[in-house]
Amino acid sequence: MHSNEVATLVKKHVDDIRIVDDRCLFATSDKQRLENILRALRVQKVTHISAITGVDTGNVVEVIYHFDCQPAELNLKIPLPKDDLKIPTITEIFPGAIMYERDLMEMLGVKVEGHPDPRRLFLPDDWPEGEYPLRKEWREKSK
Amino acid sequence: MTFVVPIGPQHPALKEPEFFRFEVRGEEIVDVDIHLGYAHRGIEEAFSRRNYKHNIYLSERICGICNVVHSTTYCQAVEQLAGVEPPERAKYIRAIIMELERIHSHLLWLGIAAHQIGFNTLFMLAWRDREYVMDLREMISGGRVHSATNTIGGVRRDVKIEHVPTFLRGLEKLEQSTNYYINLFKSDRTILARCTNLGVLSKEDAIKFCTVGPTARASGLKTDIRRDDPYGAYDALSFDVAIERDGDVWAKGMVRLREILESIQIVRQALKEMPGGPIRIRVGLQIPPNETIERTEAPRGELLYYIRSNGTEIPERVRVRTPTYGNFASMKSMFVGGTIAEIPIVIWGIDPCFACNDRVTLVDSRTGKTRIASFDELRRWRK
Repeated sequence: MHSNEVATLVKKHVDDIRIVDDRCLFATSDKQRLENILRALRVQKVTHISAITGVDTGNVVEVIYHFDCQPAELNLKIPLPKDDLKIPTITEIFPGAIMYERDLMEMLGVKVEGHPDPRRLFLPDDWPEGEYPLRKEWREKSK
Repeated sequence: MTFVVPIGPQHPALKEPEFFRFEVRGEEIVDVDIHLGYAHRGIEEAFSRRNYKHNIYLSERICGICNVVHSTTYCQAVEQLAGVEPPERAKYIRAIIMELERIHSHLLWLGIAAHQIGFNTLFMLAWRDREYVMDLREMISGGRVHSATNTIGGVRRDVKIEHVPTFLRGLEKLEQSTNYYINLFKSDRTILARCTNLGVLSKEDAIKFCTVGPTARASGLKTDIRRDDPYGAYDALSFDVAIERDGDVWAKGMVRLREILESIQIVRQALKEMPGGPIRIRVGLQIPPNETIERTEAPRGELLYYIRSNGTEIPERVRVRTPTYGNFASMKSMFVGGTIAEIPIVIWGIDPCFACNDRVTLVDSRTGKTRIASFDELRRWRK
Protein backbone atom coordinates (compact mmCIF):
# COMPACT_ATOMS: atom_id res chain seq x y z
CA MET A 1 0.00 0.00 0.00
CA HIS A 2 1.17 3.50 -0.77
CA SER A 3 0.90 6.34 1.74
CA ASN A 4 -2.52 7.53 0.50
CA GLU A 5 -4.03 4.07 0.77
CA VAL A 6 -2.60 3.57 4.27
CA ALA A 7 -3.94 7.00 5.28
CA THR A 8 -7.46 6.09 4.04
CA LEU A 9 -7.28 2.79 5.90
CA VAL A 10 -6.32 4.18 9.30
CA LYS A 11 -8.04 7.59 8.99
CA LYS A 12 -10.95 6.94 11.30
CA HIS A 13 -8.73 5.61 14.10
CA VAL A 14 -6.12 8.36 14.20
CA ASP A 15 -6.04 12.04 15.19
CA ASP A 16 -3.66 13.48 12.64
CA ILE A 17 -1.79 12.18 9.64
CA ARG A 18 1.31 13.65 8.05
CA ILE A 19 2.18 12.21 4.65
CA VAL A 20 5.88 12.80 4.02
CA ASP A 21 5.97 11.21 0.59
CA ASP A 22 4.56 8.28 -1.31
CA ARG A 23 6.40 5.79 0.89
CA CYS A 24 6.42 7.37 4.34
CA LEU A 25 3.74 8.70 6.68
CA PHE A 26 3.35 9.58 10.34
CA ALA A 27 0.11 9.23 12.31
CA THR A 28 -0.86 9.81 15.95
CA SER A 29 -3.45 7.83 17.88
CA ASP A 30 -4.02 6.56 21.41
CA LYS A 31 -3.79 3.18 23.11
CA GLN A 32 -7.57 2.61 23.16
CA ARG A 33 -7.70 2.64 19.36
CA LEU A 34 -4.38 0.85 18.82
CA GLU A 35 -5.92 -2.59 18.47
CA ASN A 36 -8.37 -1.40 15.81
CA ILE A 37 -5.50 -0.04 13.74
CA LEU A 38 -3.51 -3.24 14.13
CA ARG A 39 -6.48 -5.35 13.05
CA ALA A 40 -7.16 -3.07 10.07
CA LEU A 41 -3.52 -3.37 8.98
CA ARG A 42 -3.59 -7.13 9.45
CA VAL A 43 -6.67 -7.47 7.23
CA GLN A 44 -4.72 -5.65 4.50
CA LYS A 45 -1.93 -8.28 4.81
CA VAL A 46 0.52 -6.02 6.64
CA THR A 47 2.68 -8.49 8.54
CA HIS A 48 6.02 -6.79 9.02
CA ILE A 49 6.83 -4.53 11.95
CA SER A 50 10.23 -2.94 11.38
CA ALA A 51 10.80 -1.63 14.90
CA ILE A 52 9.30 0.08 17.95
CA THR A 53 10.88 3.34 19.06
CA GLY A 54 10.34 5.10 22.38
CA VAL A 55 11.02 8.83 22.67
CA ASP A 56 10.97 10.71 25.98
CA THR A 57 9.67 14.21 25.32
CA GLY A 58 9.53 15.44 28.91
CA ASN A 59 6.14 14.63 30.45
CA VAL A 60 5.16 12.22 27.72
CA VAL A 61 6.81 9.10 26.31
CA GLU A 62 5.95 8.62 22.67
CA VAL A 63 5.86 5.04 21.50
CA ILE A 64 6.31 4.82 17.74
CA TYR A 65 5.46 1.65 15.86
CA HIS A 66 7.07 1.37 12.44
CA PHE A 67 4.98 -0.83 10.13
CA ASP A 68 6.14 -1.87 6.69
CA CYS A 69 3.02 -1.66 4.49
CA GLN A 70 4.92 -2.55 1.26
CA PRO A 71 6.15 -0.07 0.18
CA ALA A 72 4.90 2.66 2.53
CA GLU A 73 6.27 2.80 6.07
CA LEU A 74 3.58 3.76 8.58
CA ASN A 75 4.97 5.41 11.72
CA LEU A 76 2.23 5.20 14.30
CA LYS A 77 2.71 7.33 17.41
CA ILE A 78 1.03 6.60 20.72
CA PRO A 79 1.80 9.28 23.33
CA LEU A 80 1.71 8.01 26.93
CA PRO A 81 1.76 10.39 29.92
CA LYS A 82 4.55 9.58 32.38
CA ASP A 83 2.11 8.93 35.23
CA ASP A 84 0.41 6.17 33.23
CA LEU A 85 3.13 4.41 31.24
CA LYS A 86 1.17 1.35 30.20
CA ILE A 87 0.39 -0.03 26.79
CA PRO A 88 -1.10 -3.36 25.73
CA THR A 89 1.19 -5.83 23.95
CA ILE A 90 0.88 -6.21 20.20
CA THR A 91 2.58 -9.61 20.06
CA GLU A 92 -0.75 -11.42 19.64
CA ILE A 93 -1.22 -9.70 16.30
CA PHE A 94 2.44 -9.06 15.39
CA PRO A 95 4.56 -11.81 17.05
CA GLY A 96 7.72 -10.28 15.57
CA ALA A 97 7.44 -7.36 18.02
CA ILE A 98 8.47 -9.51 21.01
CA MET A 99 12.07 -8.24 21.23
CA TYR A 100 11.22 -4.61 20.52
CA GLU A 101 8.68 -4.55 23.37
CA ARG A 102 11.27 -5.95 25.80
CA ASP A 103 13.63 -3.22 24.67
CA LEU A 104 10.92 -0.59 25.20
CA MET A 105 10.20 -1.84 28.73
CA GLU A 106 13.81 -1.78 29.96
CA MET A 107 15.00 1.35 28.21
CA LEU A 108 12.05 3.67 28.85
CA GLY A 109 10.10 1.99 31.61
CA VAL A 110 6.91 1.59 29.57
CA LYS A 111 4.96 -1.33 30.99
CA VAL A 112 3.82 -3.56 28.15
CA GLU A 113 0.77 -5.35 29.53
CA GLY A 114 0.33 -9.02 28.63
CA HIS A 115 3.84 -9.46 27.21
CA PRO A 116 4.68 -13.20 27.06
CA ASP A 117 8.33 -12.79 28.17
CA PRO A 118 8.85 -9.51 30.07
CA ARG A 119 12.51 -10.07 30.98
CA ARG A 120 15.35 -7.68 30.29
CA LEU A 121 16.95 -7.84 26.87
CA PHE A 122 20.18 -5.84 26.74
CA LEU A 123 20.72 -4.50 30.26
CA PRO A 124 22.53 -6.67 32.82
CA ASP A 125 20.49 -8.51 35.46
CA ASP A 126 21.98 -6.42 38.28
CA TRP A 127 20.88 -3.14 36.66
CA PRO A 128 18.97 -1.21 39.38
CA GLU A 129 15.17 -1.34 39.32
CA GLY A 130 13.43 1.82 38.21
CA GLU A 131 16.39 3.23 36.27
CA TYR A 132 15.64 3.73 32.60
CA PRO A 133 18.65 4.81 30.50
CA LEU A 134 16.77 6.52 27.67
CA ARG A 135 14.68 8.74 29.98
CA LYS A 136 15.38 12.46 30.22
CA GLU A 137 15.81 12.19 34.03
CA TRP A 138 18.57 9.64 33.59
CA ARG A 139 20.39 11.86 31.16
CA GLU A 140 20.36 14.72 33.65
CA LYS A 141 21.55 12.41 36.40
CA SER A 142 24.41 10.92 34.40
CA LYS A 143 25.86 14.21 33.19
CA MET B 1 14.46 -35.60 31.27
CA THR B 2 16.12 -32.65 29.61
CA PHE B 3 19.61 -31.23 30.03
CA VAL B 4 20.80 -27.68 29.67
CA VAL B 5 23.76 -26.97 27.42
CA PRO B 6 25.09 -23.45 27.91
CA ILE B 7 26.90 -22.08 24.86
CA GLY B 8 28.69 -18.78 25.05
CA PRO B 9 29.27 -15.98 25.84
CA GLN B 10 32.13 -17.12 23.62
CA HIS B 11 30.42 -17.50 20.29
CA PRO B 12 30.78 -20.97 18.73
CA ALA B 13 31.06 -19.47 15.26
CA LEU B 14 32.37 -15.97 15.54
CA LYS B 15 34.59 -13.94 17.83
CA GLU B 16 31.69 -12.03 19.32
CA PRO B 17 29.93 -12.57 22.61
CA GLU B 18 26.41 -13.66 23.32
CA PHE B 19 24.90 -16.49 25.28
CA PHE B 20 22.67 -19.36 24.23
CA ARG B 21 21.01 -21.71 26.65
CA PHE B 22 19.96 -24.87 24.88
CA GLU B 23 17.64 -27.37 26.49
CA VAL B 24 18.24 -30.80 25.01
CA ARG B 25 16.69 -34.24 25.23
CA GLY B 26 19.47 -36.60 24.17
CA GLU B 27 20.78 -35.01 21.01
CA GLU B 28 17.59 -33.15 20.17
CA ILE B 29 17.14 -29.46 20.97
CA VAL B 30 13.78 -28.83 22.65
CA ASP B 31 14.17 -25.18 23.65
CA VAL B 32 16.55 -22.30 23.30
CA ASP B 33 16.94 -19.04 25.16
CA ILE B 34 19.18 -16.21 24.02
CA HIS B 35 20.84 -13.63 26.27
CA LEU B 36 21.93 -10.49 24.49
CA GLY B 37 23.58 -7.34 25.64
CA TYR B 38 27.16 -8.43 26.23
CA ALA B 39 28.29 -5.75 23.86
CA HIS B 40 25.66 -3.12 24.62
CA ARG B 41 27.49 0.19 24.46
CA GLY B 42 24.64 2.66 24.83
CA ILE B 43 25.11 4.05 21.35
CA GLU B 44 21.53 5.36 20.98
CA GLU B 45 22.03 7.57 24.03
CA ALA B 46 25.51 8.56 22.84
CA PHE B 47 23.94 9.82 19.62
CA SER B 48 21.92 12.40 21.54
CA ARG B 49 25.05 13.82 23.18
CA ARG B 50 27.05 14.53 20.03
CA ASN B 51 26.46 16.80 17.09
CA TYR B 52 25.36 15.62 13.65
CA LYS B 53 28.91 15.59 12.29
CA HIS B 54 30.40 13.56 15.15
CA ASN B 55 27.53 11.12 14.86
CA ILE B 56 28.64 10.08 11.36
CA TYR B 57 31.73 8.51 12.94
CA LEU B 58 29.67 7.01 15.75
CA SER B 59 27.23 5.39 13.33
CA GLU B 60 30.13 3.89 11.37
CA ARG B 61 31.33 2.22 14.56
CA ILE B 62 28.09 0.40 15.28
CA CYS B 63 29.26 -2.39 13.02
CA GLY B 64 32.71 -3.00 11.59
CA ILE B 65 31.59 -5.11 8.66
CA CYS B 66 28.69 -2.97 7.48
CA ASN B 67 30.00 0.46 8.46
CA VAL B 68 29.21 2.14 5.14
CA VAL B 69 25.57 1.16 5.13
CA HIS B 70 25.21 2.51 8.68
CA SER B 71 26.78 5.86 7.83
CA THR B 72 24.84 6.06 4.55
CA THR B 73 21.54 5.47 6.33
CA TYR B 74 22.41 8.01 8.98
CA CYS B 75 23.51 10.63 6.44
CA GLN B 76 20.46 10.06 4.23
CA ALA B 77 18.21 10.52 7.24
CA VAL B 78 19.92 13.77 8.27
CA GLU B 79 19.74 15.00 4.68
CA GLN B 80 16.00 14.32 4.72
CA LEU B 81 15.64 16.20 8.01
CA ALA B 82 17.54 19.16 6.62
CA GLY B 83 15.56 18.98 3.36
CA VAL B 84 18.57 18.67 1.06
CA GLU B 85 19.28 16.27 -1.76
CA PRO B 86 22.87 15.03 -2.25
CA PRO B 87 24.36 15.30 -5.77
CA GLU B 88 23.63 12.42 -8.16
CA ARG B 89 27.29 11.43 -8.41
CA ALA B 90 27.50 11.06 -4.63
CA LYS B 91 24.52 8.69 -4.68
CA TYR B 92 26.27 6.47 -7.22
CA ILE B 93 29.52 6.46 -5.23
CA ARG B 94 27.57 5.48 -2.11
CA ALA B 95 25.89 2.65 -4.03
CA ILE B 96 29.24 1.37 -5.33
CA ILE B 97 30.81 1.28 -1.87
CA MET B 98 27.70 -0.27 -0.31
CA GLU B 99 27.67 -3.05 -2.90
CA LEU B 100 31.39 -3.70 -2.35
CA GLU B 101 30.54 -3.97 1.33
CA ARG B 102 27.82 -6.50 0.59
CA ILE B 103 30.24 -8.60 -1.50
CA HIS B 104 32.92 -8.62 1.18
CA SER B 105 30.38 -9.35 3.93
CA HIS B 106 28.93 -12.30 2.03
CA LEU B 107 32.38 -13.68 1.22
CA LEU B 108 33.28 -13.37 4.90
CA TRP B 109 30.10 -15.31 5.69
CA LEU B 110 30.99 -17.99 3.15
CA GLY B 111 34.47 -18.38 4.62
CA ILE B 112 33.28 -18.82 8.20
CA ALA B 113 30.39 -21.08 7.14
CA ALA B 114 32.92 -23.30 5.32
CA HIS B 115 35.09 -23.34 8.46
CA GLN B 116 32.04 -24.35 10.55
CA ILE B 117 31.34 -27.36 8.38
CA GLY B 118 35.00 -28.40 8.37
CA PHE B 119 35.74 -27.32 4.81
CA ASN B 120 38.80 -25.19 5.49
CA THR B 121 40.02 -25.03 1.90
CA LEU B 122 36.90 -23.14 0.91
CA PHE B 123 37.40 -20.89 3.94
CA MET B 124 40.86 -19.91 2.67
CA LEU B 125 39.65 -19.46 -0.92
CA ALA B 126 36.71 -17.25 0.04
CA TRP B 127 38.88 -15.03 2.22
CA ARG B 128 41.51 -14.81 -0.52
CA ASP B 129 38.83 -13.48 -2.86
CA ARG B 130 37.58 -11.12 -0.21
CA GLU B 131 40.97 -9.42 -0.41
CA TYR B 132 40.18 -8.29 -3.97
CA VAL B 133 37.19 -6.39 -2.62
CA MET B 134 39.18 -4.94 0.25
CA ASP B 135 41.80 -3.70 -2.21
CA LEU B 136 39.12 -2.04 -4.36
CA ARG B 137 37.64 -0.37 -1.31
CA GLU B 138 41.04 0.84 -0.22
CA MET B 139 41.68 2.21 -3.68
CA ILE B 140 38.60 4.42 -3.77
CA SER B 141 38.15 5.31 -0.13
CA GLY B 142 41.56 4.97 1.48
CA GLY B 143 40.39 2.42 4.04
CA ARG B 144 40.10 -1.34 3.74
CA VAL B 145 37.26 -1.65 6.22
CA HIS B 146 36.31 1.74 7.65
CA SER B 147 36.05 3.80 4.53
CA ALA B 148 34.83 7.04 6.20
CA THR B 149 33.44 7.98 2.81
CA ASN B 150 30.10 9.45 3.77
CA THR B 151 29.36 12.88 4.99
CA ILE B 152 26.13 14.84 5.35
CA GLY B 153 25.38 16.13 1.86
CA GLY B 154 27.43 13.66 -0.18
CA VAL B 155 30.71 11.79 -0.09
CA ARG B 156 34.26 12.87 0.70
CA ARG B 157 36.22 11.13 -2.06
CA ASP B 158 35.56 10.81 -5.75
CA VAL B 159 36.01 7.70 -7.92
CA LYS B 160 38.77 8.63 -10.37
CA ILE B 161 38.65 7.66 -14.04
CA GLU B 162 41.98 5.81 -13.75
CA HIS B 163 40.44 3.55 -11.08
CA VAL B 164 37.86 2.11 -13.46
CA PRO B 165 40.03 -0.45 -15.36
CA THR B 166 41.39 -1.86 -12.07
CA PHE B 167 37.83 -2.01 -10.80
CA LEU B 168 36.59 -3.95 -13.79
CA ARG B 169 39.50 -6.41 -13.57
CA GLY B 170 38.80 -6.98 -9.88
CA LEU B 171 35.09 -7.54 -10.53
CA GLU B 172 35.95 -10.01 -13.33
CA LYS B 173 38.00 -12.15 -10.91
CA LEU B 174 35.26 -11.99 -8.30
CA GLU B 175 32.62 -13.06 -10.77
CA GLN B 176 34.67 -16.07 -11.84
CA SER B 177 35.23 -17.22 -8.28
CA THR B 178 31.61 -16.65 -7.26
CA ASN B 179 30.39 -18.76 -10.18
CA TYR B 180 32.82 -21.46 -9.06
CA TYR B 181 31.45 -21.29 -5.49
CA ILE B 182 27.89 -21.55 -6.74
CA ASN B 183 28.77 -24.71 -8.66
CA LEU B 184 30.54 -26.02 -5.60
CA PHE B 185 27.49 -25.28 -3.44
CA LYS B 186 25.32 -27.26 -5.81
CA SER B 187 27.61 -30.27 -6.16
CA ASP B 188 29.98 -30.71 -3.23
CA ARG B 189 29.13 -33.63 -0.95
CA THR B 190 30.39 -32.00 2.25
CA ILE B 191 28.35 -28.84 1.70
CA LEU B 192 25.21 -30.71 0.73
CA ALA B 193 25.52 -33.09 3.70
CA ARG B 194 26.18 -30.32 6.25
CA CYS B 195 23.86 -27.58 4.97
CA THR B 196 20.69 -29.03 3.50
CA ASN B 197 17.66 -29.44 5.77
CA LEU B 198 19.42 -27.78 8.68
CA GLY B 199 17.97 -24.87 10.63
CA VAL B 200 14.91 -24.71 8.40
CA LEU B 201 12.82 -21.55 8.72
CA SER B 202 9.45 -21.97 7.04
CA LYS B 203 7.96 -19.15 5.00
CA GLU B 204 5.09 -18.83 7.55
CA ASP B 205 7.57 -18.40 10.43
CA ALA B 206 9.68 -15.98 8.41
CA ILE B 207 6.59 -13.80 7.93
CA LYS B 208 5.36 -14.29 11.50
CA PHE B 209 8.64 -13.25 13.16
CA CYS B 210 9.31 -10.35 10.75
CA THR B 211 12.65 -11.66 9.50
CA VAL B 212 14.69 -9.52 7.16
CA GLY B 213 17.40 -9.79 4.53
CA PRO B 214 18.93 -13.00 3.19
CA THR B 215 17.35 -14.98 6.06
CA ALA B 216 13.87 -13.99 4.83
CA ARG B 217 14.74 -14.35 1.16
CA ALA B 218 16.07 -17.90 1.74
CA SER B 219 12.58 -18.79 3.03
CA GLY B 220 10.92 -17.53 -0.14
CA LEU B 221 9.99 -13.99 0.96
CA LYS B 222 10.65 -11.53 -1.82
CA THR B 223 11.74 -8.60 0.30
CA ASP B 224 14.58 -6.22 -0.42
CA ILE B 225 14.52 -2.55 0.63
CA ARG B 226 16.61 -1.63 -2.42
CA ARG B 227 13.63 -2.71 -4.55
CA ASP B 228 10.68 -2.09 -2.17
CA ASP B 229 11.67 1.36 -0.91
CA PRO B 230 14.51 2.50 -3.20
CA TYR B 231 16.98 5.03 -1.82
CA GLY B 232 19.93 6.88 -3.33
CA ALA B 233 20.82 5.62 -6.80
CA TYR B 234 18.95 2.31 -6.53
CA ASP B 235 15.93 3.68 -8.36
CA ALA B 236 18.02 3.85 -11.52
CA LEU B 237 19.96 0.61 -11.07
CA SER B 238 18.48 -2.68 -12.21
CA PHE B 239 19.03 -5.96 -10.39
CA ASP B 240 17.22 -9.16 -9.44
CA VAL B 241 16.23 -10.06 -5.91
CA ALA B 242 17.74 -13.50 -5.23
CA ILE B 243 15.29 -15.81 -3.47
CA GLU B 244 15.30 -19.50 -2.52
CA ARG B 245 12.44 -21.57 -1.15
CA ASP B 246 13.91 -24.14 1.26
CA GLY B 247 14.77 -21.91 4.24
CA ASP B 248 17.71 -24.09 5.32
CA VAL B 249 21.37 -23.13 5.73
CA TRP B 250 22.04 -24.13 2.12
CA ALA B 251 19.35 -21.75 0.87
CA LYS B 252 20.74 -18.92 3.01
CA GLY B 253 24.19 -19.50 1.52
CA MET B 254 22.86 -19.72 -2.02
CA VAL B 255 20.94 -16.44 -1.63
CA ARG B 256 24.13 -14.73 -0.48
CA LEU B 257 26.22 -16.15 -3.33
CA ARG B 258 23.68 -15.09 -5.93
CA GLU B 259 23.55 -11.64 -4.33
CA ILE B 260 27.30 -11.31 -4.85
CA LEU B 261 26.72 -11.74 -8.59
CA GLU B 262 23.93 -9.15 -8.52
CA SER B 263 26.14 -6.74 -6.58
CA ILE B 264 28.91 -7.14 -9.15
CA GLN B 265 26.43 -6.20 -11.87
CA ILE B 266 25.22 -3.20 -9.86
CA VAL B 267 28.78 -1.92 -9.42
CA ARG B 268 29.49 -2.35 -13.16
CA GLN B 269 26.29 -0.55 -14.06
CA ALA B 270 26.94 2.25 -11.58
CA LEU B 271 30.47 2.77 -12.88
CA LYS B 272 29.12 2.99 -16.43
CA GLU B 273 26.17 5.27 -15.77
CA MET B 274 27.63 7.47 -13.08
CA PRO B 275 27.01 11.14 -13.94
CA GLY B 276 29.69 13.80 -13.50
CA GLY B 277 29.45 16.81 -11.27
CA PRO B 278 30.08 17.68 -7.66
CA ILE B 279 30.23 15.00 -4.99
CA ARG B 280 28.97 16.96 -2.01
CA ILE B 281 27.02 20.01 -0.95
CA ARG B 282 27.42 21.92 2.29
CA VAL B 283 24.64 21.45 4.83
CA GLY B 284 24.05 23.69 7.82
CA LEU B 285 23.99 21.72 11.04
CA GLN B 286 21.27 23.73 12.79
CA ILE B 287 18.39 21.47 11.78
CA PRO B 288 14.85 22.65 12.61
CA PRO B 289 12.53 20.38 14.66
CA ASN B 290 11.49 17.48 12.47
CA GLU B 291 11.49 13.70 12.41
CA THR B 292 12.21 11.09 9.81
CA ILE B 293 12.88 7.43 9.22
CA GLU B 294 15.28 5.94 6.75
CA ARG B 295 15.50 2.33 5.69
CA THR B 296 18.26 0.63 3.72
CA GLU B 297 19.19 -2.91 2.78
CA ALA B 298 22.34 -3.81 4.73
CA PRO B 299 24.19 -7.05 3.88
CA ARG B 300 22.15 -8.74 6.64
CA GLY B 301 18.81 -7.13 5.87
CA GLU B 302 16.65 -4.12 6.57
CA LEU B 303 18.40 -1.42 8.59
CA LEU B 304 16.24 1.32 10.10
CA TYR B 305 17.17 4.72 11.52
CA TYR B 306 14.67 7.04 13.17
CA ILE B 307 15.97 10.53 13.91
CA ARG B 308 14.23 13.45 15.62
CA SER B 309 15.82 16.88 15.49
CA ASN B 310 15.14 19.78 17.86
CA GLY B 311 16.57 22.89 16.21
CA THR B 312 20.08 22.48 17.64
CA GLU B 313 23.19 20.78 16.29
CA ILE B 314 22.50 17.74 18.46
CA PRO B 315 19.72 15.28 17.59
CA GLU B 316 16.96 14.73 20.13
CA ARG B 317 16.70 10.99 19.58
CA VAL B 318 18.28 8.47 17.24
CA ARG B 319 16.89 4.96 17.06
CA VAL B 320 18.82 2.23 15.25
CA ARG B 321 17.30 -1.12 14.43
CA THR B 322 19.97 -3.42 13.01
CA PRO B 323 19.07 -6.45 10.86
CA THR B 324 20.38 -9.11 13.26
CA TYR B 325 18.12 -7.67 15.98
CA GLY B 326 15.21 -8.16 13.60
CA ASN B 327 16.17 -11.78 12.95
CA PHE B 328 16.56 -12.93 16.58
CA ALA B 329 12.88 -13.60 17.14
CA SER B 330 12.98 -16.28 14.45
CA MET B 331 15.96 -18.20 15.86
CA LYS B 332 13.94 -20.49 18.11
CA SER B 333 12.06 -22.02 15.23
CA MET B 334 15.33 -22.71 13.41
CA PHE B 335 16.82 -24.64 16.35
CA VAL B 336 13.94 -26.59 17.92
CA GLY B 337 13.92 -30.15 16.58
CA GLY B 338 17.55 -29.96 15.45
CA THR B 339 20.63 -31.52 17.04
CA ILE B 340 23.54 -30.15 19.07
CA ALA B 341 26.06 -30.73 16.29
CA GLU B 342 24.31 -28.31 14.00
CA ILE B 343 24.25 -25.37 16.44
CA PRO B 344 27.28 -23.44 15.11
CA ILE B 345 26.32 -23.53 11.45
CA VAL B 346 22.67 -22.69 12.16
CA ILE B 347 23.66 -19.68 14.28
CA TRP B 348 25.98 -18.62 11.52
CA GLY B 349 23.19 -19.14 8.99
CA ILE B 350 21.56 -15.82 9.88
CA ASP B 351 25.00 -14.14 9.71
CA PRO B 352 24.67 -12.65 13.19
CA CYS B 353 26.50 -9.53 14.14
CA PHE B 354 26.71 -8.83 17.87
CA ALA B 355 28.43 -6.12 19.49
CA CYS B 356 29.85 -6.77 25.93
CA ASN B 357 29.26 -7.15 29.51
CA ASP B 358 29.88 -10.51 31.03
CA ARG B 359 27.68 -12.88 32.96
CA VAL B 360 27.77 -16.60 33.73
CA THR B 361 25.09 -19.25 33.91
CA LEU B 362 25.38 -21.75 36.73
CA VAL B 363 23.75 -25.15 36.45
CA ASP B 364 23.01 -26.89 39.73
CA SER B 365 23.86 -30.54 39.09
CA ARG B 366 21.41 -31.83 41.72
CA THR B 367 18.30 -29.92 40.80
CA GLY B 368 19.14 -29.07 37.19
CA LYS B 369 18.05 -25.47 37.82
CA THR B 370 19.97 -22.65 36.26
CA ARG B 371 20.57 -19.11 37.36
CA ILE B 372 22.64 -16.20 36.13
CA ALA B 373 25.43 -14.84 38.32
CA SER B 374 26.24 -11.16 38.02
CA PHE B 375 29.70 -9.75 37.55
CA ASP B 376 29.65 -8.38 41.11
CA GLU B 377 28.85 -11.77 42.51
CA LEU B 378 31.77 -13.33 40.64
CA ARG B 379 34.09 -10.65 41.88
CA ARG B 380 33.04 -11.33 45.48
CA TRP B 381 33.79 -15.02 45.06
CA ARG B 382 37.26 -14.32 43.82
CA LYS B 383 38.08 -12.56 47.06
